[in-house]
Amino acid sequence: MSHPLILIIEDEEALRRFLIPTLSGQRYQVLSAATATEGMAMARSHNPDLVLLDLGLPDMDGMAVLKEIRSWSRKPVVILSARNQERDKVRALDQGADDYLAKPFGAAELLARIRVALRHTLQAEVAEPVISSGGIRIDLERREVSLEGRIVKLTALEYRLLEALVRRNGKVATHSQLLAEVWGPGGEGNTHYLRIYMAMLRRKLEKDPTRPRHFITEPNVGYRLNLDALRD
Amino acid sequence: MEAAPRPILVALGSEARALRLIQAGFRMARERSAPWIAVHVETGGAQLSEDGEQVQVWLQEAQRLGAEIRIVQAPTLAQGLSEVTRGTRAQALLLGRSRDRWPWARVGHSTADELQRRGLDTRIEVLDDRKDSVGPDLRGTGFSAMVGTLSVLAACSGVAWLVPREGNISLVLPVYLAAVAFIAHRWGQGLAVLASVLSALLYSFLLETPRFSRAATHWPNLLFFLAMLLAAQAVVGLLRRLRQQAREVQRREVHTASLYLLGRALARSLTPGQVAETAVEHIRRIFKAEACLLFPERSSWRALPPPSLDPGLPPPEDLLPGLDVGERLGDPLEPLAIGRTYCLSLTGTDRSEGVLQILPCESIGLPPDCWELLKAFAVQIALALERLRWLEEARRAQVDSETERMRSTLLGAIGHDLRTPLAAIHGAAGSLLLPGDVSDSTRRDLLTMIQDESERLAHLLGNLLDLTRLESGAIQVQKEWQPLEEVIGSALGRMERRQGHLPVRVDLPEGLPLAPFDAVLIEQVLVNLLTNAQRHAPGREMDLRAWDEPGWVHLEVADRGPGIPAGFRDRIFDKFVRLPEAGEGGVGLGLAICRAIVQAHGGRIHVEERPGGGSSFRLALPLDGTPPPPPEGAL
Repeated sequence: MSHPLILIIEDEEALRRFLIPTLSGQRYQVLSAATATEGMAMARSHNPDLVLLDLGLPDMDGMAVLKEIRSWSRKPVVILSARNQERDKVRALDQGADDYLAKPFGAAELLARIRVALRHTLQAEVAEPVISSGGIRIDLERREVSLEGRIVKLTALEYRLLEALVRRNGKVATHSQLLAEVWGPGGEGNTHYLRIYMAMLRRKLEKDPTRPRHFITEPNVGYRLNLDALRD
Repeated sequence: MEAAPRPILVALGSEARALRLIQAGFRMARERSAPWIAVHVETGGAQLSEDGEQVQVWLQEAQRLGAEIRIVQAPTLAQGLSEVTRGTRAQALLLGRSRDRWPWARVGHSTADELQRRGLDTRIEVLDDRKDSVGPDLRGTGFSAMVGTLSVLAACSGVAWLVPREGNISLVLPVYLAAVAFIAHRWGQGLAVLASVLSALLYSFLLETPRFSRAATHWPNLLFFLAMLLAAQAVVGLLRRLRQQAREVQRREVHTASLYLLGRALARSLTPGQVAETAVEHIRRIFKAEACLLFPERSSWRALPPPSLDPGLPPPEDLLPGLDVGERLGDPLEPLAIGRTYCLSLTGTDRSEGVLQILPCESIGLPPDCWELLKAFAVQIALALERLRWLEEARRAQVDSETERMRSTLLGAIGHDLRTPLAAIHGAAGSLLLPGDVSDSTRRDLLTMIQDESERLAHLLGNLLDLTRLESGAIQVQKEWQPLEEVIGSALGRMERRQGHLPVRVDLPEGLPLAPFDAVLIEQVLVNLLTNAQRHAPGREMDLRAWDEPGWVHLEVADRGPGIPAGFRDRIFDKFVRLPEAGEGGVGLGLAICRAIVQAHGGRIHVEERPGGGSSFRLALPLDGTPPPPPEGAL
């Protein structure tokens, strides 16, 4: 898979005109569709490695397109959404979208998100056993975390939370996804648990918890572990 | 410790003079800086419902002037008042003169006297309006009056019989004079004349010696008769004048009081509908007539409250000129009668505000003695309507000018701030497309410029959209309990990802509680405040502090910039307000967005001067609701 195939489903021509050359220039193969119907048909016929999906399509709700694609494919879907639509973002992520980009976005941001999403499929569910950088070292096999060479003691819940974020490999995780994974079913309402444990993780693993470099907050959506910072 | 001053009591009934009592009580209470209490005693007798209403009106009026209200029930006025006086240890009691009918019943039997006898440690002040008090009404010259007259004459003949008579008229005359004067006072002129004739006859036949001499033409008898007649005439004339005066005084008092009450009630009306309701209610009470206000609407009338009392009214263009002439052919005060109703023009200072339509409940129409008061009512109503119209006009003018100002600043801001980056982008893209070689560094410069300027555009548009949505209520605040640390982290992260490290010193105390807020919105507030601080004090250190107090959590963003002049500290949160020396960047929306967001959270934001220079923006968010329970096992 040297040149992954990316399908763009976006009705605004200006944006397509920006996306197609940007992605082609990065040696991706690019397909584009201007309507939901066309996009779904192309997804079925070409089976792309990644879909860039705009939520505001003229003929159909983007969310329905996402559901349709998810009914037969596990390939990454990155949502393009307008600002201030956190609810839609969360809904899309909980429906199985892999990530989102808020318009307007720059080329660098777009390519970074696409890389993360594609990396995720390549590595499937298995993350590297040892992640180490920025002073933090996480050994998933030995369940050991250290900061600047010193072992950091994490409680069982803190470790599970860290593990859930590491496993997402840089993708955003919504509050409800993390709550379900770490606290199990029934924990969904307790977002503040998640926030408190996140704060404790930051205090143990960030140099300055008010300027987190690794544990990034996506307000009203969820969290993402910035692996690029870890790997630098 | 000085004891609190003892209160002043004012006894109120339903009479019009209660207004004077209220004013006197209010004045006395103010002079002595004592509290005052308005008391109404319900004596349990059958009370007219109108009286009850009137009492309510007076009590409300007293309450408005700061009185405490007491309503007590007691068998007599005196008993009720003395109970309240004792209970409140009042220093003074004000009451009007009692309305006992008989003069002798007043002496020693008035409520005031009775109160005195009860030995109260209180000064009792009777508001004396007896000089204009009204004498008892004339009783009709019916059968009972006749019997009364005859009994009085019989009684005084008996008395006269006892007087030693040596043919001396001087001793008998005063007895009969007194009787005739009394009859004139009590039963009027007719019976008084009859009584003088009768007493002359009685005198000549019964008392003159020798008795039954029938010497009626005897000159002392004639003299006697004339004296009687003159006395009766004089008494009757005097009484009539007195009564007229008294009635006039009372009428004026009632007029003054009812006008005063109408004026007060109208002053509280906020809409033409309320003015109409108030006017109708007062007219019904004072004139026993139905009423409504009519406003011209094209070629018909709109009635408030509907419906119009007489639908057959001529159209406004015909009726109004006739009404506005004002002076009628007969009495200038007489209202224009149309069908069964009367119409009065509601003319304010400059133009007609509408028409007052009156439908008297009885078939006799409106008696002339109430025309004057009705005209005065119409003027009051017209002025109230006019006041509302002017208020509305002033409000509209203000809204207009505000909208106009907004529009021009918005156009100015958008005109300048949208065009500048657009021009730069357009120009840069154009020069990149020109044929010929462009050096790599120039290319880079132009592209960076396109990127920067489009970001500026996006930022400006985002702000405009945010503010519009916040102001229209389209953004709903999703409050969730969360640590402030996290939102500070995401705000700083968002800014530093864009522009590298910021010199912000963060000071968060340990154990800061969770607070309920919308992370996206509060992040926006912090980003806006930090961006401002950075813009006005580039490169200098900024401080971000948080602390809590019961019920509130506070955030402060402080800079070492030039500070904000005192005159601007309130206005700086308004839309499109920029400091005069602010120069480039920003359209004056950032702080307006901050304020809208903080207010949507139920919080407050302000700016103050920072000790040592610079400004300090402080916002407080309420810790409302119950914080969620901490997770088990957490520290």
